[in-house]
Amino acid sequence: MPRSEGLLLDLAVAKRFGEFALELEAAVAENETLVVVGESGAGKSTLLRLVAGLERPDRGRIAVGGRIYFDSATGTDRPPWQRRTGYVAQDHALFPHLTVFENVAFGLRAARRSPVDVIARVTEALARLEVGDLAERRPGEISGGQAQRVALARAVVLDPAILLLDEPLAALDVRTRAQVRGVLKTVLGTLPTPCATLFVTHDPFEAMVFGDRIAALENGRVTQVGPREELLAHPRSPYVAAFLGINMFRGRIVSRDGGIVRIRTGGEGNEGELSAVDPGPGGAEVIAVVHPREIALFRQAPGGSAQNTYVGAISELVPEPPNGERVRIALATRPPLVAEVTDRAVTQLGLHEGLEVTAIFKATGVTVFR
Amino acid sequence: MLSLTVATLLCFIALPIISLFVRVSPVTLWTRLGQPVVRQALWLSLGTSAAATLLVVLFGLPVAYVLATREFRGKRVIQTLVEIPIVLPPTVAGVGLLLAFGRAGLAGGALKAVGIELPFTTLAVVVAQLFVATPFFISSATAGLAAVERRYTDAAATLGATPAFGFIRVLLPLALPSVLAGAAMSWARALGEFGATITFAGNLPGRTQTMPLAVYAALQNDLAAAVALSVLLVILSFSILLGLRFAPWGAAVGGAPARPRRR
Repeated sequence: MPRSEGLLLDLAVAKRFGEFALELEAAVAENETLVVVGESGAGKSTLLRLVAGLERPDRGRIAVGGRIYFDSATGTDRPPWQRRTGYVAQDHALFPHLTVFENVAFGLRAARRSPVDVIARVTEALARLEVGDLAERRPGEISGGQAQRVALARAVVLDPAILLLDEPLAALDVRTRAQVRGVLKTVLGTLPTPCATLFVTHDPFEAMVFGDRIAALENGRVTQVGPREELLAHPRSPYVAAFLGINMFRGRIVSRDGGIVRIRTGGEGNEGELSAVDPGPGGAEVIAVVHPREIALFRQAPGGSAQNTYVGAISELVPEPPNGERVRIALATRPPLVAEVTDRAVTQLGLHEGLEVTAIFKATGVTVFR
Repeated sequence: MLSLTVATLLCFIALPIISLFVRVSPVTLWTRLGQPVVRQALWLSLGTSAAATLLVVLFGLPVAYVLATREFRGKRVIQTLVEIPIVLPPTVAGVGLLLAFGRAGLAGGALKAVGIELPFTTLAVVVAQLFVATPFFISSATAGLAAVERRYTDAAATLGATPAFGFIRVLLPLALPSVLAGAAMSWARALGEFGATITFAGNLPGRTQTMPLAVYAALQNDLAAAVALSVLLVILSFSILLGLRFAPWGAAVGGAPARPRRR
């Protein structure tokens, strides 16, 4: 549990939408990012809208930075414009009739900051998000990735007490997403004022990269919340298990050779090594992800020069989805891997628990995050 | 078959307008336009319709805002009430105005107490125009304001904008095409107003005789003057229509807000 003196968001609310009942509790500490994962319709966006004041809980209490935003017991309900939240929607919602500069200046002008102050702060925020050269453009004239950065600048320029990010990268293509993810990670790590972050996503990579802690939301309730390693090691629901059912390792780069890096993975039970494409300059600490479908299984080790070859016994076979045509196969390799193959392959190879197999994947099949 | 129908309809609409232009020689038109009665009617029409449009926007905008952004009991009733003047025969509207704001009207006594006597004054012309023109503005502005996506107003609110600040800086600019279109339609309606005006304000040259009334009056004794006035009205109305079509916001008439343009 986060220490209470450093607690920025303290929330316990309930709200009904017809048949759907939302009952949420969340606590986020200063400079902590709580990633909220869940399927669409689980209530992730509603959680953010409740904190922002765009939705009203039926009962409960929302406090941010010691200030009560909502309390059904006392009838407190601050309107959105009196809350210090930085809300960034998936579709950025930049005002189409204002320039990038005026979009970022919007909140400062609403707060009647002096023109000199506005120019200084907006310029600084745009530079921080690396979009300073777009100041005079309109939202219709910039790319999706740029728009999302501007939306972030528009939120952080107001020094919010809590950042509410609603799938901020979901609308971007894969390439852009990686760039914006990097910028976002830097920005969240260097906010000038105490700020908590609620980050909603359905992407396990993002959950791993951003989440100091991860909360799983299922059917309007938080089913598990904890540090990412805890959720990885002890998923308490099938959803959490499936969501994190990718091979994900924290590790450090131990050697480089011809565009390929060797990564030593760590964490309890995850010790091992793997090869990946060199992610370029940066810190040695990385998160390596191997999608289960990237892993091919063989009864006999084939010849050739695949960079990652492991031999180990099958510890578990799980149909995925239950009774589906794909099967998840857990392997007692080092590090332990989960592969996903078709049920036809299971039959053809005669796979069963305890059988020793060779697992192979390419260095290009490994995604490396910092 | 279809093209024949279209052609017939086009002729039906175009023929009367063309007739206005070919009936009287341009020279005659020009001399008639110089007549005091015509000039008076022109300025009276422009002045009263401009005043009416201004009042329509001033009072209509808050109403449109409430109708577009709030949900409340009786909203449908209010919406229907506001639209009544569209379906009401103008003459009937004039009688109603007379019975409401006339000397012996329901509110006439109260108006007289504060020194206002409406019937047969220029102000009555404005009131008549206001009555018939308001619904056009309100329906267009309401549609425009309601069409502004919620995410923009949500974003404004979370950025610290009070509803008033958000209205001026976000909602109104994004709905501007529909708001301007509504104002223009109201102006056109006010400019052409006849029935309610002649009933409530009378037909006094220089005071209440607007262009449509002057056309009607001139038709009794001077066809050329009537045509001259008509041609002038056609040109004015047509400019409004063209303005709506080809102004920067033109494409959005009656519809969703246009994509904002680059300066």
